[in-house]
Amino acid sequence: MDMFSFTEIVLGIMVLVYIVSKVFRVSTELSMFFSAVAGSLAGGFGLQPRYFAEGAITYLDINLIFITATFFMNILKESGGVAFAVREILSRFHNHRILILVLMTIILLVPGALTGAGSVTVLIAGGMVSVVLNHMGITKLKTAAIIFIVAGLSAAAPPVSLWAMMTAAGVNMPYIGFFLPLLIPCVLGALITMFLLGWKGEKSNIEEAFEELPIPPERMSWILIALPFLVFFGLIAMGRFLPYSSPIVGLPLMFLIAGATSYFVSPTKIKILQVSRDTIKQLLPLIGTLTAVGILVEIMTLTGVRGLLAVTTVTLPVSVVFGILFFVLPLSEAVLMWGAAPVIGVPLVLLFNTIGLNPIIALAGMSMIWPLGDALPPTALIGRLTVDVVGVDESYSAFLRTCILPSIIIMVMGTLMVIFSSQLDFLTAF
Amino acid sequence: MRDKFIVIRKTIFILLGMLVIIFAGKSFYDHRNFNEPVVTNEGVTEVKKLGDYFTGISGTINDCNIYVFEGEEEGSNMLVIGGTHPEEPAGRLAAYLFAENGKMKAGKLFLAITANRSASTGTKLGGAYPPDFSIKTSFGERKFRMGDRWSNPLDQWPDPEVYIHYPSGQNLAYVDTRNLNRTWPGRENGTLTEQTCYAFMELIKKEKIDVFIDLHEAELQYPVISTIVAHENGEELATFVSMMLTDMEGFRMGVEFSPKNLHGLSHREVGDYSDAVSLLFEAPEPFLDATRGTTSREQLLTGKDEFVVMAGKHGLLFEQIDENGWPIAKRVGRHTSAILMTMEIWSEDYPDRPLICEGVPRYEEVIENGVGYYLNDPKSALKNRIVLE
Repeated sequence: MDMFSFTEIVLGIMVLVYIVSKVFRVSTELSMFFSAVAGSLAGGFGLQPRYFAEGAITYLDINLIFITATFFMNILKESGGVAFAVREILSRFHNHRILILVLMTIILLVPGALTGAGSVTVLIAGGMVSVVLNHMGITKLKTAAIIFIVAGLSAAAPPVSLWAMMTAAGVNMPYIGFFLPLLIPCVLGALITMFLLGWKGEKSNIEEAFEELPIPPERMSWILIALPFLVFFGLIAMGRFLPYSSPIVGLPLMFLIAGATSYFVSPTKIKILQVSRDTIKQLLPLIGTLTAVGILVEIMTLTGVRGLLAVTTVTLPVSVVFGILFFVLPLSEAVLMWGAAPVIGVPLVLLFNTIGLNPIIALAGMSMIWPLGDALPPTALIGRLTVDVVGVDESYSAFLRTCILPSIIIMVMGTLMVIFSSQLDFLTAF
Repeated sequence: MRDKFIVIRKTIFILLGMLVIIFAGKSFYDHRNFNEPVVTNEGVTEVKKLGDYFTGISGTINDCNIYVFEGEEEGSNMLVIGGTHPEEPAGRLAAYLFAENGKMKAGKLFLAITANRSASTGTKLGGAYPPDFSIKTSFGERKFRMGDRWSNPLDQWPDPEVYIHYPSGQNLAYVDTRNLNRTWPGRENGTLTEQTCYAFMELIKKEKIDVFIDLHEAELQYPVISTIVAHENGEELATFVSMMLTDMEGFRMGVEFSPKNLHGLSHREVGDYSDAVSLLFEAPEPFLDATRGTTSREQLLTGKDEFVVMAGKHGLLFEQIDENGWPIAKRVGRHTSAILMTMEIWSEDYPDRPLICEGVPRYEEVIENGVGYYLNDPKSALKNRIVLE
């Protein structure tokens, strides 16, 4: 049997086991794990623990960034910093709808951009922003759609964009030059979504909103909120401007130090052990996903399935690839979550690089589209989380329908970035 | 009842997890602690340590062996390093063929088989590399460690947010802070990988190295392949070597000039920061291609891969490949011939300071007899000739 037929059979068995697992309501993480086990057996490699362990720790560094960044954000939330910021914005600008919409967009973008996880945005800021938006006359359906899409874009935004980082690592490409290519379209897409869905509404009812929002401690101030961020960016600056005379800190420790700063300047006493336990509980599904994805990718590489997908993709006509990007990317995200990046993203970037497109811009464009799949079954992890946090009464399909228009705009933006990536390469300067 | 089921399920998964940890842990431990025997030829007159040139690296995992071949006659000095990227085995094996067969008639050769030992003690996460591979010989099989491109995180961690190369200040990918071919010329008080390069630079300066060669392999989808990358101080030498290899030995070897603003690479920095002529040799390794099929020892050694062939048919590769693949003997032979040819051209250019090496097989010989033919049997060798890598 030739290599193509054999690997296609292995791929078929892996897909079948995944589908059967999902039919039996097994979690996505375990379904991916079972699929990897089946692939290893079908490929004739038996069950070699080395490959499963190596796959499981592939994204250890990313997991650490994830955990420590979310820990920092949770401390900030517990200290009353987020509630203070939301209340301050509301009280100062409640008569300026445009300004409030812009500031709420920024509040939604920050947690995900720093942590790389849309779910962190939903959990940290989603609840409070939804209170504000609801009292601006925006329906819960539209509020949920806004929070979901902006949360997704926040995850794709720099400095931490897991899709871009994982794909770049898969093609030995430095995660450098992504800042503006990710920042500009993500901010633009977030603002378009916010104004598209949130422009129409009644005048904000500030009193009712204040009643629902948590009350921050009296001594909370903008300085206390800014301090941990200053420490974080100070550490980044130290590494960049004094690289040969300062110790290598690493992003996880930077986030921990920022979290510690937030803890020490907090006007209220924070139960640090409780926050750390909650952080891990909150992130366990995502850590599980990254671990399972690592194992799946390792076994796909071992058996040649990754190579099969790669060679099939890079030999497709480019026009076909451009034409199917907008639904292949969200679909792959819905099935594999972040696994979509190394499995689908890597061969696509190889193809774009080979045909002379700018791989950084193209990958940034793809990174915008991927998070849209987080609302789609079978996983729908972040979509369902958002609906719960906002308290949407209507059906899940009604929520999906509300997301359609901004999603189309984002898909078009992302696809155009891929097609015109060479013309946009000036964005990679920073 | 449901709680009981959950407890049973969790117990099963914990036990399975522990089994994976125990068996995988053993595999990782064995890989990291496996010592390869090198049966040195009589041409190896001394085995030094890299730490002899810079104490900062002494006793670390990267305090690698430096094999010294003192020639019978005076001549120039050459340093050859394999294992900059231990995921590229042809470079290490070519160095083995020198250590186990070579003898300098004139000049002095310094040789490192595993320039980045740390990187040879682990494999690429997500890459599904085999931990080792074996070469067939008449006395059985000789086993070698497969490695990674980067120093092992067990030896150097965490990575910075951005790696800023010393001394150019150029921004590079954070992971390349552990890439031995991105940290030249190194830094005395830097990371392990930077200190390793610094130690090699000290060797180059103290031993007055005239020619420096760094052995590599590359994926076929990478444009810098089957070529010599030369610093401007070695352009003429590289051009002649390339011409002679193509004419005399029947394989194509191009020449590329080291870009002046691409920092951290040996072909750039060794030439800039020492008097040595700096060259880097690249051989093709389909195992590194992202479109490769099964990741196996067989693919690593035969270089046969239908998927990579398919990519080639669509014009996506920078080197040819067919159903015969790129066997390890072909890749090793390219390196040995290229090193020997460099010595010969150098000796023609500098007849008063020649580099003459005997006993090392060339391209056609390695292909005809296989790599294993030129490896010695550790069991029948004198103990004082065996060095552990």
